[in-house]
Amino acid sequence: MGKKEATVRMSLQTLRVLEAFLENPTEQLAGAEVHQRCGIASGTLYPILLRLESAGWFVSQWESIDPSSAGRPRRRLYRLTSTGLRRASEVFASFNRGVLA
Amino acid sequence: MSQRNERSRQPEFGGVTQWLIHHAAHRAPDSLSARLEEEWLADLESRTSGWSRLRFATGCCWASLVIVHESARNRVTATSASVSAGGVVTLTDRNFSYFSLRSATLFLIAGLHAALFYGMITMLSHTRGAAPPAILENHELKPVPRERDPLPRIAMEGWTLTVPPLDPVAPTMPPIATDVRADFSDDSVVRDSTPPPTDTPTHIVSRVVGGPGAGFPETSDYYPPPEIRAGNEGVSIVRVCVDPRGRLTSGPTIEKGSGYARLDEGALKLARAGSGHYRADTEDGQPVNSCYPFGIRFQLKK
Repeated sequence: MGKKEATVRMSLQTLRVLEAFLENPTEQLAGAEVHQRCGIASGTLYPILLRLESAGWFVSQWESIDPSSAGRPRRRLYRLTSTGLRRASEVFASFNRGVLA
Repeated sequence: MSQRNERSRQPEFGGVTQWLIHHAAHRAPDSLSARLEEEWLADLESRTSGWSRLRFATGCCWASLVIVHESARNRVTATSASVSAGGVVTLTDRNFSYFSLRSATLFLIAGLHAALFYGMITMLSHTRGAAPPAILENHELKPVPRERDPLPRIAMEGWTLTVPPLDPVAPTMPPIATDVRADFSDDSVVRDSTPPPTDTPTHIVSRVVGGPGAGFPETSDYYPPPEIRAGNEGVSIVRVCVDPRGRLTSGPTIEKGSGYARLDEGALKLARAGSGHYRADTEDGQPVNSCYPFGIRFQLKK
């Protein structure tokens, strides 16, 4: 990708967000779904999502639905990138080894 | 149906939440403003209750604050798949004054809460009673000479005052009677009225007779209905014994009947029901155990 991998500060909330995505790394989740899984408030959740997206761990895209036919607005869906998957796995592996990444 | 009713009772905050999200997104960097507004409004739809939506919208305000703050500090670059194929968007510090505005708003809200709590606490202290004095000081109490109760005025008509000769050698002190009862029925009796020596310590007990006090039950509530129908009226003299707190220490008794047994019975019930609402006799202002009669008049309203 050639893009510099930014460092991400690992807070407890960030780890919980990553854990929600690592349950199924290929799954795309909206912010509301991440909130339901992690219980993190919106004021903390969205900066984390944007931070991870800026660092290249996540990519996001609009939900491909027709809002008029679906009866609801389209949502923004986040997905782990290969970099994000690798880095998140390293972080949790380091926790298992007892070493903070 | 019940869930629908429960939801209908909850506040919706629809306009408020959308306004909050709109302004929160507007404060975010230009490159993210439209995206965040649409994203947050879409996620807002997943919230069911009004309070949850309000919490979400308030959180979005805080999120935009954090995003602006981080972008201003770090110049974070973010990829956005929806913007362009290149997809690299720079988060710029668009409106940095927002931080101070939000801070001022938070301080204002916190100040309003503090004022509200202060007002509630002050109001509660007023309702509980008089506020304590601002400054507690120790004062040395000086002995105050006790004022003696004025002697009762005695009618002197028909009385002869005989002053005994003074004995200059050995004045004798007359004994002090603790319980003096006067009988003025016989005016022909000539009494010696020797004033007590001025240096003799005397104490006259000021006694105030008690009776039914505040909160005593209404007589009409104990008027026996048969006597009302019969039109019988009367006065029952009831004798009660009460403690200093106005409670009966023994059962009331009829000292003088009204002539109607049911009226006397009603008077006794009334006297029993009034326990705790009697004024006891007072001696020098202090209530004491006492027994006294009082009249209960049963009278029909004209």
